[in-house]
Amino acid sequence: MELRVTESSENELSIEIAGEDHTFMNVLKGTLLEHDDVSAATYDVNPEQSGGQTEPILTIKTEGGVDPLNALEEAAVDVGEKAVAFRNAFEAAA
Amino acid sequence: MMVPVRCFTCGTVVGEHWEEFDERANEGEEDPKEVLDELGVERYCCRRMLVSHTDLVDVVSPYQ
Amino acid sequence: MTEEYDVEFVEREDREARFLVRGVTPAFANGIRRAMIADVPTMAIDTVRFVENSSVMFDEQLALRLGLVPLTTPPVGEFVEDDTVTLSIDVEGPATAYSGNLVSSDSLVQPADENVPIIDLKDGQRLEAEAEVVLDRGKNHAKHQGGVAVGYRHLQRVEVVGDVPEFEEPDERIVRGVIEDDGELVPTSEFDHDLTNRYPDQEVAIEDVPNAFVFHVETDGSFTVEELVTRAAETIEARATELEEAVQL
Repeated sequence: MELRVTESSENELSIEIAGEDHTFMNVLKGTLLEHDDVSAATYDVNPEQSGGQTEPILTIKTEGGVDPLNALEEAAVDVGEKAVAFRNAFEAAA
Repeated sequence: MMVPVRCFTCGTVVGEHWEEFDERANEGEEDPKEVLDELGVERYCCRRMLVSHTDLVDVVSPYQ
Repeated sequence: MTEEYDVEFVEREDREARFLVRGVTPAFANGIRRAMIADVPTMAIDTVRFVENSSVMFDEQLALRLGLVPLTTPPVGEFVEDDTVTLSIDVEGPATAYSGNLVSSDSLVQPADENVPIIDLKDGQRLEAEAEVVLDRGKNHAKHQGGVAVGYRHLQRVEVVGDVPEFEEPDERIVRGVIEDDGELVPTSEFDHDLTNRYPDQEVAIEDVPNAFVFHVETDGSFTVEELVTRAAETIEARATELEEAVQL
């Protein structure tokens, strides 16, 4: 998983996440939106006029002075926790 | 020629049911619907794989 | 943030199961579904060396047929993506070569179904080949797709709201999936998917239960349903960890 920041400011970040598709990106986006300080999060797997680019680009907008990169990191932790919680719940039932 | 191994649409393995299906529904007199139900071939994508198949090995083998 | 998930099995067999998950977001449910189809690695034949093939089909056609035969996939950690196992097949006509004729060099990797016909061999025809098995994901080739017909539906809550007026012709009310009636889970197949069979002469209201999804999962025999679901969750977990580490750098 290679990351490349394409645009960055205090409260906005666009980052390319190589090698991922809707499977992970949509879960990540959904989790980012649950974050209180994230005002907008979206991803695009084939941005217009990208010249054939197909790696997804994630865009995060935050409020309250939160660094978007920190929000991303927290979201990644949350996704991991969700996956573990789901696995544990499933194994408990199985 | 030979029966497809998997259903084109969903990927379920259907090849293993061909010989029984052929024997009972094509050679025999049984209702294909019932044979497929008993074999556990449930979805119509998988059912068409068996219903529409014809073995052609015997037809082409003399021309090898 | 800790999520409260609740999993309950509705139907359960080795290769097919239906289970209800509560407290899951649509995004996460879809992530799990997609991971089961495309991201769980399974073993499948990838390269075939033909020693002799005098059958009526070309080498390439037979190689595809061999590739599609499901093989049992060993436990996590036994194999990594570049390891190979060799399977060999040697059948002489008149006979039919079956997937069960494949002889494996590793007892962990065996044909999951023994009765898949590979090729019908006539008198004097022979098939002898050696095949290399690799571990790969469904994303790269359908033969590595461990989960077939994986999907989910909302759990639907049915409530009786009154009686059908006496002289009204009742319309059929078709529902598919699993319904929740007073906390009891009922697969719709039990009443032929028609609510008027279960609630004759009663008016019913149906609504989707938020964040409750009924998954239907089938596997091709590579592993059990339990294994498929756990491995799918693990792939998502692994990617989350990877992203976390990549962001920290």
